Amino acid sequence: MEALKSYDWKDKANKALGISQEDARITKSYLSVAFIAILFGGLLGLLQGMNRAGILELPVWANYYKVLTAHGLLLVVVLSAFFTIGYFYAGLSHTLGGLLPKVRKMAWIGFWMKIFGFVLAVIPVLQGDASVMYTFYPPMAAAPMFYIGLVFIVLGVWMLAFGAFINVANWRKNHKGQHIPIFSFFATGVFVLLFFGSLPVAIEVFYIIPWAFGWIETINVMVSRTLFWAFGHTLVNIWYLTAISAWYVFIPKIIGGKRWSDLLTRVVVIALVIMNITGGFHHQIVDPGISESVKYMHVFMSLAIGFPSLMTAYAMFAVFEKTARKKGGKGLVGWYKKMPWGDVRFLAPFIAMAAFIPAGAGGIVQSTNQLNQVVHNSMWVVGHFHLTLGMTVVMTFFGVSYWLVPYVSGRVLTPKINKLGIIQTIVWTVGMVLMSGAMHWVGLLGSPRRTSYSTYFDNATALSWDPYLFFLAIGGTLLMIGVLLQVYAVFYMMFFAPKGETEFPMAEEEEDATPTPMWTERWGLWIVLMLTLVSMAYVIPLVDFIVNAPPGSPPFKTW
Amino acid sequence: MKGIYYVVILYIFLMLPPVANLMESVMIIHMHMQMTLFAAIGFLLAPGMIRKFPRFFEEWNPNGIPGLLLFVLVIVYWTLPRSMDEALNLWYIELFKFISLPFLAGVPLRDSWKKLKSSWKNGLIIFFTLLFIVMGWLYIWSPNQLCNNYLLIDQITLGWGFLLTAVCMIIYLAYSYITDLAENI
Repeated sequence: MEALKSYDWKDKANKALGISQEDARITKSYLSVAFIAILFGGLLGLLQGMNRAGILELPVWANYYKVLTAHGLLLVVVLSAFFTIGYFYAGLSHTLGGLLPKVRKMAWIGFWMKIFGFVLAVIPVLQGDASVMYTFYPPMAAAPMFYIGLVFIVLGVWMLAFGAFINVANWRKNHKGQHIPIFSFFATGVFVLLFFGSLPVAIEVFYIIPWAFGWIETINVMVSRTLFWAFGHTLVNIWYLTAISAWYVFIPKIIGGKRWSDLLTRVVVIALVIMNITGGFHHQIVDPGISESVKYMHVFMSLAIGFPSLMTAYAMFAVFEKTARKKGGKGLVGWYKKMPWGDVRFLAPFIAMAAFIPAGAGGIVQSTNQLNQVVHNSMWVVGHFHLTLGMTVVMTFFGVSYWLVPYVSGRVLTPKINKLGIIQTIVWTVGMVLMSGAMHWVGLLGSPRRTSYSTYFDNATALSWDPYLFFLAIGGTLLMIGVLLQVYAVFYMMFFAPKGETEFPMAEEEEDATPTPMWTERWGLWIVLMLTLVSMAYVIPLVDFIVNAPPGSPPFKTW
Repeated sequence: MKGIYYVVILYIFLMLPPVANLMESVMIIHMHMQMTLFAAIGFLLAPGMIRKFPRFFEEWNPNGIPGLLLFVLVIVYWTLPRSMDEALNLWYIELFKFISLPFLAGVPLRDSWKKLKSSWKNGLIIFFTLLFIVMGWLYIWSPNQLCNNYLLIDQITLGWGFLLTAVCMIIYLAYSYITDLAENI
């Protein structure tokens, strides 16, 4: 009882005084790394786009594949993970009454492990010994140091995941019979997925390291690809889950409304946690060694992941319409005028949501066997993940940064920066629509992904791609302008904006909401269900790959 | 009540010859997915049936133990290699599979579950954990083909499926042991 009282007091103090300096420092550090990564990653992206359009020839020491690997690592491994962790740790601190001292320590150990791992991985990339791209598929082999770096990154992630679990478990112990606050519920889901999703890639990397050192001669390529995508697809959905956490929890408050259906929100999180990892199979839909019937059944598994997304779309528009009508919005669609379009904290995530409509549809195309064969390994795929990650996820992150950065820095969002944010959102939207649209289209026309510029001896088909690739370069240039504006805004808000208080805009539940049943809190059960589903999904191909294993492949350096 | 129609549609869908043939073409999907889905259909249909025939369930399954025994018998029967072979070769055994799993396994389990003490529930999970370990051992390390209709590799895959499911059940048991669910949530 004593403990309960002290925690209630801590909760109140936390709400009144804002985030503690020590917890804020953690989030600020993670966000700083994330936005420095987007600065460099974006620049490398621009170089690639220019090269792909045939406008710019890269010097020999910075060939296309090296730049592509670094671009992927910076944005896929650094930006997304560092933002996600900084964002959720700020939320854990806010909703659970501050981080525990040992969790804080773990967050710092994790931070430095990740940085150390990243430095180790990036050295061979810069030296040209690891142009294996972020998927590092064997039999392409990088220098062993690259993989050792990845091990440290994964260990850092685990440290943070366990830090989050300890904090949540401690809160539950002191708040028996209560639901985990919704934002921490999302954080729990994300860290559960980060931990279990990174297990397969850890196994893969431990298998690759002796092969890269030459201690074992060959590697089972299909096993490593399968392990990679069990992680790869999960990672993609972790970003998505992070983005939708902002949609569910903060957007209603920003537009002046309330959260709609707590139960639906929690069911979406649980469904995504349980069903996610097996989605990796649709990345292997044209891989050999997996029978057609198994692939066919996996289409159902992949489409099942789409279901919670449809629930999210419904919930979002329910919140929008309810809030707008309360504000006097009328008509079938006329209520949309009542939305705060001039507020970047709403505009950026809204465009992000809208982008997920074509992005999700493109994803369904790719997980369908016949349609996948049309677009597989073409620029279409690159267009798809720039639309999902570059728009849906990253624009949500941008939108969040306009309140999260001032919140952790004890400063405020000024009208000028809000205006800059609106301009940035427009520039980014136009840039990404041009670039991603061009990528989709040129992919349909047959242009391959992950290929340096070539006219294939002036082949007519290859030459016909050029106009689209030009659009790609124009879009990329606009995106670089967007990156510069965004990075400026973030660091201005972190260090130079006027001091003041910014709230952590958690929306409240509707007054007449029905109580959420307690079974939603049975995390152990959800994890067991997830593990069972993963076991069932992976046992067929993995047993086949291992029992009927081919001789395996020695390492190759293709660049 | 609308939910029942969806369950009936799923039941019919799973019995359609192309769907049933596809699921039965892979041994582990036949046993671990198709059969589980049929049992799950019974589980979902049960509340409606219990409402319709309350006296029958009260009379035959007052404390949940008869229902539990029926469930165990039916499920154990369907883990035998020979029963799978027969389901593929004889139409009436296939029909028996379609009927027995929902109505003699899924329905009694749902009716029994709420009547049973937690010791019985945990006992059931422990029993199936042990059974799955034994079945896993049998299917992985049996040097002979146990089912005429499936290859040895299918059998080994099924064995690993059993072992992994057993591991998941052990994790669940450990989780229930270390967390006091009633107190914590």
